[in-house]
Amino acid sequence: MQKLLYQFAVGIMLVVAACEPRDSETPANGPRFDGTAYQPIYASPAELARIESQPGRALRRPGKIYVKDNYLFVNDLGEGIHIIDNSDPASPRKVSFLRILANYDMAVKGSYLYADNASDLVVLDIRDPLNIKVVKRIEKAIPQSDYPPYANVWFECVDKGKGAVVGWEKVNVSSPTACFR
Amino acid sequence: MGKSKCLITNGLFSLTLYFQSCSCSIMKKAIFRFRFDFWVLAALVVLLGGCDAGFTSADMSPGAQTGTGGSMARFALAGNTLYIATKQSLDVYDVSQADSPVKIAKTDLGVGVETIFPYRNNLYIGANDGMYIFDNAQPDKPRLLTKYTHIMSCDPVVVQGNYAYVTLRTGVACRQFNSVSLLEVIDISSPSNPRLIHSTPMDSPYGLGVDGTRLFVGEGSKGLKLFDISNPAQPKLMKFRSDIPTYDVIPYRSTLIVTGEKGIFQYRYDDKDRFDFLSKIPVE
Repeated sequence: MQKLLYQFAVGIMLVVAACEPRDSETPANGPRFDGTAYQPIYASPAELARIESQPGRALRRPGKIYVKDNYLFVNDLGEGIHIIDNSDPASPRKVSFLRILANYDMAVKGSYLYADNASDLVVLDIRDPLNIKVVKRIEKAIPQSDYPPYANVWFECVDKGKGAVVGWEKVNVSSPTACFR
Repeated sequence: MGKSKCLITNGLFSLTLYFQSCSCSIMKKAIFRFRFDFWVLAALVVLLGGCDAGFTSADMSPGAQTGTGGSMARFALAGNTLYIATKQSLDVYDVSQADSPVKIAKTDLGVGVETIFPYRNNLYIGANDGMYIFDNAQPDKPRLLTKYTHIMSCDPVVVQGNYAYVTLRTGVACRQFNSVSLLEVIDISSPSNPRLIHSTPMDSPYGLGVDGTRLFVGEGSKGLKLFDISNPAQPKLMKFRSDIPTYDVIPYRSTLIVTGEKGIFQYRYDDKDRFDFLSKIPVE
């Protein structure tokens, strides 16, 4: 019985450990190395803060959606939000694209849109979708993960001095990186 | 009925705003004329106290002002409250002043929080270790009613009437112990005592949506499933459309809006067999 308990505890610890990223020179229990690792894509504070309306454009990687009256909002993973006039669902019309780096979520109240912009919560006045304005920015409202959204991978450790992480890129590397999960 | 209640609440609310915006100048004049007259201050306290009553239930002024998100949402609005499910906590913002959210509460859950679905007086939170149900009658004090624990997962929940529909997906991080993907129906007629009443195996379920007798479940790149839930305890599979990759859905005004790796698809549905293609915004 005690042995069983012990094995169970070790199992739990292994599982928990596998979910935590950590640094190590020569990890004994890292994932299998296949010559690739994830590299953070950084954005400077100025680059991150540049939020603007752009002409409607093609969908690349559609994420979450949100509806408000006749408008449909479609997140493009990590890039921003498409505003679509959906008064006629049989023929939706792209109105504009809001460039918001590291954006995945949104909600709309009246003519204000709430969105995540990396770790910041931003409020946009979208009365004129072709000319939106940032009316408020609450910094560090949304804690960010400092590891890529994949399991059993190697990745370059995040250097916060380089800016905010706005994405991850899979690259070829000759030896395992310092971080893994 | 619901509408008139909403109007009254909105009326109360604008009155509240009116008093709030006035209170400052009232106070200045009061100080000027009466030099901290006790009764003026007391009256203000009563006024402001009364105003608070106007804010209480996030559920009382739904609809008109705010939009609708999908089941995978981490942001959700209910009346004058914005909820954000961050990595490990439920954060609550007062957005009475829509352009200036003010954080009023933070509840640490200590586990990965994934999705949030406000319904009537409750918040349904999809977390790594189960579904949390919060009473949000007082937005600044979310009260945990119950935690319906399931196997480790990261999956969404939607609610209609007395039933919560939850998908559990295998293959995500931290899900080593389980090998079956499921759609579960949970009786929440007593929110503090949820009961599992049905469970169906799924392929790779993501977001889902419910409207009347229809339940739509996204199976990721595998497609979209339509269920008849005339009997909520026994969802009956009506259609499996493998040609519509589905990450999340929103049923809205008899239109099903689908988001997935191939783009945005829209379909007109009804409570019979109808499921007609309306449009597609492709990924290019």
